[in-house]
Amino acid sequence: MLNTILKYTGLFILLLAIQLLLLNNIQFSGFVNPYIYILFILLLPFETPSWLLLILSFATGMVMDISSVTHGIHTSATVFAGFLRPYVLNFVAPHEGYELGDLPGIKAYGFRWFITYVIIIVALHHFFLFYIEVFKFEYFFRTLLRVLLSTGFTLMFIVIVQSVIIRR
Amino acid sequence: MRSLLNFLKKFGNVLLFILLELIAFYLLAARPNYHNIKLTKAINATKAAMRKKINNAVDYFSLSDINKQLVRENEELKNTLQRIYKSEELTTFNVTDSIYRQQYVYISAAVVNNSVNKQKNYITLDRGRLSGVKEDMAVICPEGIVGIIVEVGRNYSIAMSVLNLEFRLSARLSKNGYFGSLTWDGGNVNSLILKEIPNHVNVSVGDTVETTGYSAVFPEGIMIGTISDFDERGGDFLDIKIQPSTDFRKLSNAYIIANLKKDEQLKIESGIQGTR
Repeated sequence: MLNTILKYTGLFILLLAIQLLLLNNIQFSGFVNPYIYILFILLLPFETPSWLLLILSFATGMVMDISSVTHGIHTSATVFAGFLRPYVLNFVAPHEGYELGDLPGIKAYGFRWFITYVIIIVALHHFFLFYIEVFKFEYFFRTLLRVLLSTGFTLMFIVIVQSVIIRR
Repeated sequence: MRSLLNFLKKFGNVLLFILLELIAFYLLAARPNYHNIKLTKAINATKAAMRKKINNAVDYFSLSDINKQLVRENEELKNTLQRIYKSEELTTFNVTDSIYRQQYVYISAAVVNNSVNKQKNYITLDRGRLSGVKEDMAVICPEGIVGIIVEVGRNYSIAMSVLNLEFRLSARLSKNGYFGSLTWDGGNVNSLILKEIPNHVNVSVGDTVETTGYSAVFPEGIMIGTISDFDERGGDFLDIKIQPSTDFRKLSNAYIIANLKKDEQLKIESGIQGTR
């Protein structure tokens, strides 16, 4: 138990460091803003209770908001993603269901399962995030383009991080 | 009691979700106060200090570029020194030495944090209250305008970048003086929008756009950019796109401008509006 907590704390710090020190500094046009910190919510164990998931989402979003001065934007989007995660997991569940003790990842359920799961949550998270950020429908299609492009890049970074760093 | 527990068991997560979202939206709505939370301030100060260390190292690589830029700017300043002094020839009867009285004070600052990829971009500068920075002061760089100060701390201040959906500034065409309102639409970093220029005005691509000084924030005649495209759109006004002269992606030095006569101007203006 303690081991798990330590491992996830490490993951949390690592992802936020990558996000804040690296990805937030990539000023690559306004259309591509990858947010990989959401991977922390994606990788929590299957048996995490929903309330804990929500609290952890809230904390992750808060840290992002405080450190990038964005006033609740990340918090609301991450809580939204954390709320939807159990439903998405149900939706993409393999026939035989999930086994207790397994972690959501490429290793346990394969690349295709992982990609579907990640795409759904990341797209929902980014959709919520970018529309909250703009907060009007005036630029609807341009925001949609931002959502799609950023989702693509986040996905790419998540696959890289997942396959390179988080082997353990 | 049992049914309440059952209810909580069933919908507790939804309730918690709604509660947390409400808190998040409260933070979104209560933005100005949010900045004042001490924790935020402390974290921002540490972040800014850390960022400064990183920048110090990175700055070495661009030293020669910045040197050239500064030399060019010095040259220009020496040529146009009079621009920051406003003529007050009516006071000639006074036996004071100054025909010119200073209206603007420039405070040099380094950019310690900056973004261009959000819809509401802000810039952190390493000067704060201790250096005399106040809210609503103008920020420019050698190439053109940068933004307006919105938050001031002890040693740091935050400026709203021109690249911010909330940014508004009056701007004019330097060749004929027609003025309009300058905004950014959240899209391309290299394209600002100038509205409210009437249709009949003769505009061509490449025309210079500069500040008007009407708002008492920016001095007049500071470069904003050049017209890159315009469109008649059928209405009474032109839709003008402007290529900013400032490269927001590589800001490093900036000047904060204090208008010494701003209070006077605002006071007298609000007096008129009060009687109307």
